[in-house]
Amino acid sequence: MSSTAPSSALAIGLDVGSTTVKAVVVDPATQQILWSDYQRHETRQPEKVMEFLVRIGEAFPAATDIRIFVTGSGSGPLAAPLGARFVQEVNAVTLAVEKLHPDVRAVVELGGQDAKIVMFQEGADGKKTPITSMNDKCASGTGATIDKCMVKVGMKPEELSNLRFDPTRLHHVAAKCGVFAETDIVNLVKSGIPSGEIMNSLADAIVHQNLSVLTRGNTLKDRVLLLGGPNTYLPFLVECWRMRIPETWAQRGYAAPDRAVQELIFTPPNAQYYAAFGAVVYGLAEGNDARYAGLDGLRDYVQNGRAARLGASAGAPLVVDDAVLQAFLDKHTIPSFQPATFLPGTVVRGVIGLDGGSTSTKAVLVGQDGAVLYKSYRLSKGNPIADTREILREIRDYVTGQGATLDCLGFGATGYAAAVLEESVKADVNIVETVAHMMAAVSFFPDVDVICDIGGQDIKVVFLRETPEGGRDVKDFRLSNQCSAGNGTLLQAMAEQFGVPLHQYADTAFAADLSPKFSYGCAVFLDADRVNFQKEGFTAPEMLAGLAQVLPKNVWQYVVQVPRLAQFGTRYVLQGGTQRNLAAVKAQVDYIEARVPDAQVRVHPHCGEAGAIGAAMETLRVVTRRGHSTFIGMDAAIDLAFTTKNDEETRCTFCPNNCSRTFIDTRTPDGRTSRYISGFSCEKGTVESKEALKVLAKQRATLRDQFPNLVHEESTLAFRHFYDQRPLPPAGSSTRDVEVRKLPFFRVARRAFNRGFQRSHADLRGIKVGIPRVLNLYSTGPFFRTFLETLGLSRENVVFSTATSEEMWAEGGRYGSVDPCFPSKVTQAHVHELLMHAHTDNKRGPLDYIWYPCLTHVPSWVSGTMDHAACPIVAGNPNVIKAAFTKEQDFFADRGIEYIDAALSFAEPNLMKKRLFDTWGPRLGVTEDEVGFAVDEGLAALRAFDDSMQAKGRAILDQVEREDRVAILIVGRPYHLDPGLNHGIPEEFQVLGYPVLSMRSLPRDPAWLRRFFGDTDPMSISDVWPENYSANSSQKVWAVRLAARHPNIAVLDLSSFKCGHDAPTYGVIDSIVSKSKTPWSALHDIDANKPGGSIAIRVKTYAYRLKRVEEDLRERSAKRAELARRVAERRRELESQTAAK
Amino acid sequence: MENAPLDIDSELARFAREEARKLGLEREQWVEPVRSNESFTAKDRATTTMLVSGLTLAHDTLVCAALTGLGYRVEALDAPDNAALQFGKEFGNRGQCNPTYYTVGNLVKHLVYLRDEAGLSTADIVNGYIFVTAGACGPCRFGMYVTEYRKALRDAGFDGFRVVLFQQQGGMKQATGDETGLVIDQKFVFGIVRALMAGDVLNLLAYRIRPYETVPGATDEALRECRELLSTAFRDDASVVAALWRCRRRLARIEVDRTQPKPVVSVIGEFWAMTTEGDGNYQLQRFLEQEGAEVDVQGVTNWLLFMVWENRYDTLQRQTLKQDDGGRKGLSGKDATKKLWMLEAAEHAVRAHFQLYAKAIGLHGYHLPDMEQIAALASKHYDNHVRGGEGHMEVGKLVHFIEDRVNHMTISVKPFGCMPSSGVSDGVQAAITARYPDAIFLPIETTGDGKVNVQSRIQMMLFRARQNARAELDLVLAEKGLDEASFKACVNGSRRWRSAFARPAHRFAGVAANLAAAV
Repeated sequence: MSSTAPSSALAIGLDVGSTTVKAVVVDPATQQILWSDYQRHETRQPEKVMEFLVRIGEAFPAATDIRIFVTGSGSGPLAAPLGARFVQEVNAVTLAVEKLHPDVRAVVELGGQDAKIVMFQEGADGKKTPITSMNDKCASGTGATIDKCMVKVGMKPEELSNLRFDPTRLHHVAAKCGVFAETDIVNLVKSGIPSGEIMNSLADAIVHQNLSVLTRGNTLKDRVLLLGGPNTYLPFLVECWRMRIPETWAQRGYAAPDRAVQELIFTPPNAQYYAAFGAVVYGLAEGNDARYAGLDGLRDYVQNGRAARLGASAGAPLVVDDAVLQAFLDKHTIPSFQPATFLPGTVVRGVIGLDGGSTSTKAVLVGQDGAVLYKSYRLSKGNPIADTREILREIRDYVTGQGATLDCLGFGATGYAAAVLEESVKADVNIVETVAHMMAAVSFFPDVDVICDIGGQDIKVVFLRETPEGGRDVKDFRLSNQCSAGNGTLLQAMAEQFGVPLHQYADTAFAADLSPKFSYGCAVFLDADRVNFQKEGFTAPEMLAGLAQVLPKNVWQYVVQVPRLAQFGTRYVLQGGTQRNLAAVKAQVDYIEARVPDAQVRVHPHCGEAGAIGAAMETLRVVTRRGHSTFIGMDAAIDLAFTTKNDEETRCTFCPNNCSRTFIDTRTPDGRTSRYISGFSCEKGTVESKEALKVLAKQRATLRDQFPNLVHEESTLAFRHFYDQRPLPPAGSSTRDVEVRKLPFFRVARRAFNRGFQRSHADLRGIKVGIPRVLNLYSTGPFFRTFLETLGLSRENVVFSTATSEEMWAEGGRYGSVDPCFPSKVTQAHVHELLMHAHTDNKRGPLDYIWYPCLTHVPSWVSGTMDHAACPIVAGNPNVIKAAFTKEQDFFADRGIEYIDAALSFAEPNLMKKRLFDTWGPRLGVTEDEVGFAVDEGLAALRAFDDSMQAKGRAILDQVEREDRVAILIVGRPYHLDPGLNHGIPEEFQVLGYPVLSMRSLPRDPAWLRRFFGDTDPMSISDVWPENYSANSSQKVWAVRLAARHPNIAVLDLSSFKCGHDAPTYGVIDSIVSKSKTPWSALHDIDANKPGGSIAIRVKTYAYRLKRVEEDLRERSAKRAELARRVAERRRELESQTAAK
Repeated sequence: MENAPLDIDSELARFAREEARKLGLEREQWVEPVRSNESFTAKDRATTTMLVSGLTLAHDTLVCAALTGLGYRVEALDAPDNAALQFGKEFGNRGQCNPTYYTVGNLVKHLVYLRDEAGLSTADIVNGYIFVTAGACGPCRFGMYVTEYRKALRDAGFDGFRVVLFQQQGGMKQATGDETGLVIDQKFVFGIVRALMAGDVLNLLAYRIRPYETVPGATDEALRECRELLSTAFRDDASVVAALWRCRRRLARIEVDRTQPKPVVSVIGEFWAMTTEGDGNYQLQRFLEQEGAEVDVQGVTNWLLFMVWENRYDTLQRQTLKQDDGGRKGLSGKDATKKLWMLEAAEHAVRAHFQLYAKAIGLHGYHLPDMEQIAALASKHYDNHVRGGEGHMEVGKLVHFIEDRVNHMTISVKPFGCMPSSGVSDGVQAAITARYPDAIFLPIETTGDGKVNVQSRIQMMLFRARQNARAELDLVLAEKGLDEASFKACVNGSRRWRSAFARPAHRFAGVAANLAAAV
């Protein structure tokens, strides 16, 4: 920074951010920067500011007239003690940019916690107005996310600064949320993707996220200034912006000047000081007289002010006194584990259980008697085979190190790594984590009611029931969705941020006298809280105590969602690595004991290795029963050679998704090879050749016939032609009409009369109408197709967009200005497809109309509700889409397409006829009679759609009843039929051999329903939910209400992230299924990205439970036969008695 | 003997049941008991306390007084705070919106207080208290919040606690006989509506005066006394207009200086979030005032007018159909003509009453919105048939604010992920702000936490608004050839313009500029 001889007047600008403090000293007369510095504050903002001010004082001893302006998220409380004026940081940056770069029209600033975009819009008078936009709290795309992911991929900052952006090797990373992004990054690391590719993928995802959400659909026009830490220090991120922004220019027909992209999109030198400098510019411009008050105020604030202000807002400490602490420690401290010792020359016989978790690998050696002989825990290095080899070697060396030999009787695995180990080392057991955890708990605490396992990433809660044999089995389970946190990693990350080693977490937190009240839920929100609390002055011990107290809330209120814990039983076992942290245990114990009378909360003695112990116990059971092990043996496994390949060759080419796959090839010392494939998103990815794909397709076809998937069938039936409509009546044929006359005083008169049917004879075969395949169109599609076809459009000219796909979203997802649920957001990509691609590849030319009506009310078969309304977001979405595609330029007009979004209600057919005539009469030249007839045909098509699905559903239910099997009922909203939104979850169950029912396919024949409902109204839900306005929610509850009475139906409940209409149904559905003991599992918070790992655990755990359900069904069937036999026998007895009389 | 075959059948049925039980073949069925509103009967009235809450302090206090005047035992709950939010989150469903968490949590919080602090038994609470609230209209999740009350109360250990609803659009149809504890008749409805309108005029006037008071706290002090005066009138069934006149005399004593150019910030958005004055919107109104703005709030009367408009619009759309439809809005079996007359009467009554109150208290020049105009302005962008929350009103209001220069800045406040407001209105507003690039519009979402970020965003936009207010005043002063000192002197020398109620003719958004133009 240039420096001139200082005058007595100075202006100081301080930018106190979430991670750093930046300072500039400016000459007020010339606005020249005289001094500047930038340092990390390590969460000690006031101290760092003080240090800066001392140095400024030393650098400018002659200064007497000092004004001071502060900005940044951490500066608020410092303003008063310093005598400074607080300046909002975006205002500061905006002013700095206006002053330094008057030709810039857009600014993108990525900070530690937030992202901001400023666009300068020129008004009619040529005056530029800045339009500013900041990320809401539910977003990532910031420096903090990049920092965390950098650690996960194991790259050093200097490596990152040399990384170049390579758009040809990108993988899917969700940037919508920091937690989602981290999950995807972990999965990519595990699939062996090179670190550089992962960071490039993250950069691309962040850029895409910012362009699609933060710009609120506006175009970033040149010149674009990139500010903030990540943009300054990560060249690959800047390169990504330089590639993606011009792409939006091309897409939207914006002509950028013919200059090098480096000039159009650029990062200025000293970008980190813009906010601090802008604060000074702002303050001086406002004529603000903020005189620097010296350091005394700040010193006082550091020493006394902070603590005094906290009293009111703080919560209770973790422990109130030493006696309480001691009693807790006595009861819950886990005795340290002593591995078994062996005499030289002995043979140690046992099985090995391994848990390849998300961040670590754990293994145990368990003796034939079930005793844990040795255990090992190590952080994952990213490759499951390498991790397994190392940990097995450690176990073998431990035994042989004592002169003994190890006879491994079997090997079992659980966790992310289990699948690859089953293939490569022929593991005896590959069980899902939830079941492994149950086995581990039951083997130590046979009477346990509830297991709460908190690992690095996941929270798993398993509820147990007593089996007839007196053992324990899974009754129900809850798993954290992607969208939840407060888990082990979070505690660890926070401890690291405060420089507290993890093993000192508990002692540190116990020392706190109070705690901040964190809001529970998402990790991103918690981090935002952390910044706030730090600013308020909470100390590290207090923050750690507060965070530990969030944990039980996250588990019981956010994941389990049941406030009445006592209903599950009294015996709780805490497992998972996080329980080593006694602060977490204390918070859990307090929470549970406050809510469950006589609760017994126990910590598993091997809490970190519970999964591995469960795998070992199951292995012991399996090899004992089978009499032999399939495991390739310790030595072979340790010496297993492997190669990992992830390149263009391994990419799956069997569908347009082109998934990037990883092949892990292993070779045992005796030459046996196997290949494990990971990274695919559908079954096609599991094979390598076209021939193999054909075999797979044939297998799938057989499976489809055997176990139909009605969700899939309904999703295609809704949009194809299946109903042959009646032709329009001939002109003049008799029709009944009503004349309506308006009279004074709000009166009307109606007169009915007969007349001839009016025909327009308009030839509409060439008219092309596009309709997005979205939202409630999934339940009303047949109406729209039939309506248009009846009027005379040819079948191929009624064009629905294709099903949702990642490519579609990537291409068309940058126009929206709001961020609602994904199903509503993705509609822009469907409309984009209709705009840009429908009919453009043939000679018929583009569409004439895109018809996306606001459906205010949708058809519903449920009675006794308040209304049949559609979700307001869904109903209003066509208006939002219109705004998105017309606000900067009218994309519809540009292509000669008319967009029609007028509202329609399926609850009122006569109103619908009128509104449809108002819409289409003038446009197509059709008569009111024709429209009315077409509406009637459309409604008939909807009835045919219903009938067809119900017949299919009835056939499945009859079959599963006959065979004592279970069918899976997918309950969700209509758009959950979309394979791009349900992420293929129904297929996962179909593959496992369960027929899949859709809600519409449930029979509604009164005679059939009487079996389950007796005399109560089978179509009403008013007994469980009287205040229901939403058609789709009430149908969901209706379906669950039927499932609760049908022994052969198991429920899978799908719900999308941010779904407001599903929220009230959670409690209703939960109380129904808990009372009826109906098998039920839920995947809530589904979003754009497919949470593969989370889905897999759920599917496997649920399948495990459903096996038990089918066993029960068979047992009940046998009992019913027995009952019939006894009754028949009794009848004979009675009849013979009667005859004897 | 003739009945023998029948005996066999019944004996067999008994035997089959018995054997089924032995074999474990019964299946437990679930039942979700829904308590009826009828359980609050006339004879309970003397021993039952009605709890009410949900709007601003002024509204809640006056509604409480009006109901007391009707012979009920009533208590108003405090404004929901973050502790209430925590209760709501613990006992409510996940994924609910803030208004639900705050309001449901606020009730649970109060009941927990009665049990744990005041020492009442759960049975006494369940039998001795009821919660009375307006039934919502659907179709957003908040519209179904009664289900949430039931769940949360049950889970918090107050199973059976009565929540009594009166439908906002139910009118007088809900009077259900002498035995009903809550008699929803003309007196009841008028009592509440009058209390709401009195609360409105008081609030609206206070928001006009407070930013300009020369003695900090003077307005709040007067407001407290005015609430007391009005409460007494409602309780004693005395003249509200007379009480408003007394309020006027009290408010007249507040000294103001309206020569300071302050940006006028309209707060619109989701009904609850924009109305509450507590943690539910981070005390948004107070924060704006602290940052030097004059806040333009939306009265509850606007909501009443919107409901009248909705009903009228829907009826007119359907009245001329060739055949009546069924369904909630269809006119089958309904007398459309009568309905339209009643709506006409309701609108006139509301407007006339409001103006009467406004004039009495000194709220000069305040115009209730023309709902037809708002609907027409919005209709190009937001279909008037699409409902939920404020429907098209947010969009219509913004266009009106911009075109009629009502303010310097508009904040649309809504709970995080609010379905109608964040999901639809904000999306449509993007097109409005693109059409009017000079307009300052800020949508903000509230979650209960993240206050600092929200306030920071407000400060960011307020900077421009403040500049515009200043520029506007400078322009008028320049036009009139006045400097600031002479302007101030001019105003301070005039009794008319110094008055707490002064409202110069509207030419600009800012009061100071209008004043400068008027003096």
